[in-house]
Amino acid sequence: MKEKGGMNKLITKLRKKSYDVRHAMLEMCIKAETGHVTSSLSCIDILVTLYYGNILNHIPKKPSYDERDRFILSKGQASPALYAILADSGYYKKSELDKFAQKGGMFGVHLQDDVPGVEITSGSLGLGLGVAAGIALGAKMDRELYLVFTLLGDGECYEGSIWETAMFASHNRLNNLIAIVDRNYLCVTDFTENLIALEPMEDKWKAFGWDTLRVDGHSFESLLPAFSNLRSRRSSRPLVIIADTTKGEGVESVTNNPLWHGLAPKGKDAETAKQSLKRRYADE
Amino acid sequence: MSNISQRDAFWTRIYEIARQDRDVVVISADMGAPALDDFRRDLPSQFVNVGIAEQNAILVASGLCMTGKKVFVYAIAPFIVLRCLEQTRVLNAIMDNPITIVGVGAGFGYEDSGPTHHITEDIAIMRSMPRIGVNSITDRVMASAFATLSCRMKSTNYVRLERQVLPDLYDENSDFSKGLSVLKDSKDCYIISTGSMTHVSLKIAEKLETEGISVGCIDLFTFPINSDLLVEKVKGVKKLITLEEHFLPGGLGSAVCEVLMDNEILIPVKRIGLSTEKKYCYKYGGREVIRSYYGLDYKGIERQIGKFLI
Repeated sequence: MKEKGGMNKLITKLRKKSYDVRHAMLEMCIKAETGHVTSSLSCIDILVTLYYGNILNHIPKKPSYDERDRFILSKGQASPALYAILADSGYYKKSELDKFAQKGGMFGVHLQDDVPGVEITSGSLGLGLGVAAGIALGAKMDRELYLVFTLLGDGECYEGSIWETAMFASHNRLNNLIAIVDRNYLCVTDFTENLIALEPMEDKWKAFGWDTLRVDGHSFESLLPAFSNLRSRRSSRPLVIIADTTKGEGVESVTNNPLWHGLAPKGKDAETAKQSLKRRYADE
Repeated sequence: MSNISQRDAFWTRIYEIARQDRDVVVISADMGAPALDDFRRDLPSQFVNVGIAEQNAILVASGLCMTGKKVFVYAIAPFIVLRCLEQTRVLNAIMDNPITIVGVGAGFGYEDSGPTHHITEDIAIMRSMPRIGVNSITDRVMASAFATLSCRMKSTNYVRLERQVLPDLYDENSDFSKGLSVLKDSKDCYIISTGSMTHVSLKIAEKLETEGISVGCIDLFTFPINSDLLVEKVKGVKKLITLEEHFLPGGLGSAVCEVLMDNEILIPVKRIGLSTEKKYCYKYGGREVIRSYYGLDYKGIERQIGKFLI
């Protein structure tokens, strides 16, 4: 019972963070009039689980300490979401968010490796998994115990390099590598299953030698168990967690609409989006 | 003449270094070499074969580099330069993860394998990015020296190895830290060349000497060019010739002209190399045959030089 109570408390905290991060991300993108708002919204609950759900080992005041878990955001388009979380965690001042993609700012539209807490530059897709595999291999060579997490967009799974790495990682038994696919079913111009079907996605990863889990990417009840006990996992295989998500989740006015890819709402649309987010979380 | 290839000289040296330094890791995209067989047998935990997957090779190499490893990635030159160029640009040029990219088969080195296996654009491509150095290797002594130097480099280094076994032009005391060497002095004119073409330029200079024409030879092996040294060496000469088994746009000749222009040195230059007005080449029967298609065989080069000098 006690454990369940602790879990409920954690989930309540994560739900609050889920709103706060969405709010901060939306505000920074609206102010900058740019940023991939919908791509950020689809993966925020995954990021919140990692950063606030006691999953990632990290110390904001020591962003480069050797034993930290590595988090590789391969879909660098979601940088506003990560930047908001890193600011909230204390990697840098929250005032940096006000300067997002502006003159004198620390960071822009796509992820940049020199920002404290960020491991790689991305935005060019299909790169993060391979880098994560290299880090995981290096950790194995040095008998380091940290884990390497990487978050991929589902659209980026069209890149051939993802599958080069997928077979490499399982062959080399990189069980310290955990990939998460933000499965929001939407690319730039169309839904993935119209474009070129990515399903059955779990079967694809299985065929490449990975352990797989499929979760609801917006439910902490579903996300938290997937990430728990990763350090005592008894498999020699890398793990992929396919998280079913919705592009634009939390802001109904921009949800599931290809036309909103890569954009920040402006003017009246910005107000609608803000109201939409508030309404969605009013009951939480 | 030594019968050791640049490839074997390079990997033999890396093997010796790796035995003392367990952070040295070799990633092969399914490429071998006798010296690498020893490496694989004796240092299996420092050898990774990624298969024919150059994109993954660069990504894994860069990830390993981020954990403190000194990584060498090895494949046939056109594939390790071109197939994964974007990975190199993002992970090594933009993010500045220093690795060593080792490509074998510079120019027409893979002779009868055809244009897919030739690499005649790599100097232009690789030197166009910050934080990527190009070392175009002339002989096996230089190959071995750059194996040692690579371990100390703080930025990414593309080592462009010749496939053919060529005579030694250097000895163990040669200094390769300056990026270029004057192999034959002249007060009037120099041929500036790189890689296998330096061997050609020396022969042509010798022949011209017998005809009473004094032409010196500069072997230029490192890009970006050591501008100060190049300027010092060529200042005062009347004419310059550049010679490369590489397409002319962006290659050695372009790079030399950039240095001259930027330093306000107005010397007439004849660039000899591959013209993009010709198509890619499907000719068989050896390197000289392929070179002749572009006018880059001995006779063709002599003709072009003769026309320029007289």
